[in-house]
Amino acid sequence: MEGNLHPIVRLINRNLTISLNMGFVIWQVIFPVIYIFVAGFAYTALIHNVPFGQKNLDYPAFISSGMIGFNIMNSTLISGIIIWNDRRHGMFEQILVGPFTRAQYILSNVYTIGIIGLVSAGLITAIGYPLFFKSVEFNILTVPLVVFASITGAILFGSIASIISTRLKSSEGFNVVINTVFLFFAFVSTAFYPAEGAPPILATAFYLNPLTYLVDVVRAGIFGNFTGTVAYEMVVLVAGAAVLFSIATKLLSKLEI
Amino acid sequence: MLCVEAKSLSKSYGNVTAVDSIDLSVESGKIFGFLGPNGAGKTTTIKLLTTLILPTSGTINILGMDAARYPLKVRKKIGVVLQQPSYEPNLTVERSLEKYGMMWDVDSKTRRDRVEELLAAFDLQEIRKKKNDDISIGQRRRVQVAREFMHDMDLLFLDEPTVGLDPSARRGLLDYIKGKVRDGLTIFFTTHILEEAEYLCDEIAIINHGKIIAVDTPDELKNKFGREKTIKVHIGKAEDVGAILQGVGKYEVSHDEGTVITLHSADSEQALVKILQVLNANNIAVEDLSVVPTSLEEIFLTVVKNSNNNFGGKLASNSSSDK
Ligand SMILES: Nc1ncnc2c1ncn2[C@@H]1O[C@H](COP(=O)(O)OP(=O)(O)OP(=O)(O)O)[C@@H](O)[C@H]1O
Ligand SMILES: [Mg+2]
Repeated sequence: MEGNLHPIVRLINRNLTISLNMGFVIWQVIFPVIYIFVAGFAYTALIHNVPFGQKNLDYPAFISSGMIGFNIMNSTLISGIIIWNDRRHGMFEQILVGPFTRAQYILSNVYTIGIIGLVSAGLITAIGYPLFFKSVEFNILTVPLVVFASITGAILFGSIASIISTRLKSSEGFNVVINTVFLFFAFVSTAFYPAEGAPPILATAFYLNPLTYLVDVVRAGIFGNFTGTVAYEMVVLVAGAAVLFSIATKLLSKLEI
Repeated sequence: MLCVEAKSLSKSYGNVTAVDSIDLSVESGKIFGFLGPNGAGKTTTIKLLTTLILPTSGTINILGMDAARYPLKVRKKIGVVLQQPSYEPNLTVERSLEKYGMMWDVDSKTRRDRVEELLAAFDLQEIRKKKNDDISIGQRRRVQVAREFMHDMDLLFLDEPTVGLDPSARRGLLDYIKGKVRDGLTIFFTTHILEEAEYLCDEIAIINHGKIIAVDTPDELKNKFGREKTIKVHIGKAEDVGAILQGVGKYEVSHDEGTVITLHSADSEQALVKILQVLNANNIAVEDLSVVPTSLEEIFLTVVKNSNNNFGGKLASNSSSDK
């Protein structure tokens, strides 16, 4: 009778089934692609090139690489939405009264957004490739850096989304808060424009934002520009992800039934 | 074998004692009915027995396993339909059954067969392609209950499964449950509907204010609490029967349609003979006569009322009773 799949695999399967619908694909893939092509070329008139390490990137190359980081962050909204819906529609209790533990439930959400983050980062990379291929410098670090960014980014932002989903009661509140927070992360970061040349206050704000670190790591991978600063940013990402993940786990494991 | 065994089980929320030192035992292959008014502690008991929440004190043994030590092992062997609705809003009815089976690691061939069986048994064929978000509350409840039969289990907890179901769906569900019990399933069932408990249950426990106030088979409960029958005697004219009825026991007289004398008695035959003799001796003609056995519902109300009085009495032990 039994198929012998690991409980976490079964939960991931279920998470993907309920999350992957047309609306999500539009939000997660089509919207970023349109943005890359439309904004990428529209702004080229204003922003001729962006100094990056030893290189000068053109704006489409800059924004499409930034979009990969943005996309990883976006995919973690899924985790918040899953938890939120599960609580609202009774599935949280139903799963916990089934053949699963809370730890498995939490981990399955992390893996789910990790998978979605990786796959959509891969898709954006493939689609954005024609835009940044001139500047691309793939090397031995490219794949490890992008994978590292996807995983730590998924955990970090997934934890933020989970924390928000456990703290809020009304569904309007949840949507407003989570969208505001993520919008703030998106626009106060180096995903869309470089820190160089921005007013000092804004440039500082960029570096209080984990998405900036995430995007920097992705760019370092794609444009072959691994430096001491990038290594430092990776440490910050890991530390941030660890702290936020333990807070999220604690909140989830205390969640009242 | 005992499927459920709880000893001195208690659960408090702050200063509310939702479950107050109850003992429970449910035998394998039986349908156990758990009855009680709103807020009595039924759902809390189910959450305790299914390891969803931890008891404040007491022990729980489910299918021979200590629930505190092996909660996951316990959960793998039981099914639970909670009182609270649960559904995946974006999945169709058939997909949500199928996915639920997947979550329980049922192989895909068995899943397909069961989906068809359950769609038919729970009359969900017509809405199988509809999303759970787009069906009625009663239909959603049917999907929720049906879904639990996607996986194998030894013991099934049902917390008011028939709420929101129309009479035919309700009867269909009860009969489906009976069938499963014949195949060896044990059921722990809560309800407010007494006829349902009477139709279904081998044993009934009544809980009020977190305490179990009666446990027995439906028949025995009736015997214990319901030996008292209700005798109604219709007589023609609106006569003043007060004087002549002295000595036949406690009775009520009403004058809506003719005069009706209502009498509650544990020894109904004796009481009937007596009242007929008295009426005959006074030349009062009897137009109609009925003896009604007390229903489980009346027993429930009586038992709960008694326990409320006791409960109130305990709380107000300082004030003088007016009895
Ligand atoms: N999470 C909770 N926090 C505080 N009190 C609670 C909680 N859950 C239940 N209670 C209280 O415990 C008591 C028993 O509640 P329970 O839900 O078990 O009743 P019930 O018998 O299932 O009632 P119903 O027939 O309405 O479903 C009630 O007084 C309720 O207010
Ligand atoms: Mg209840």
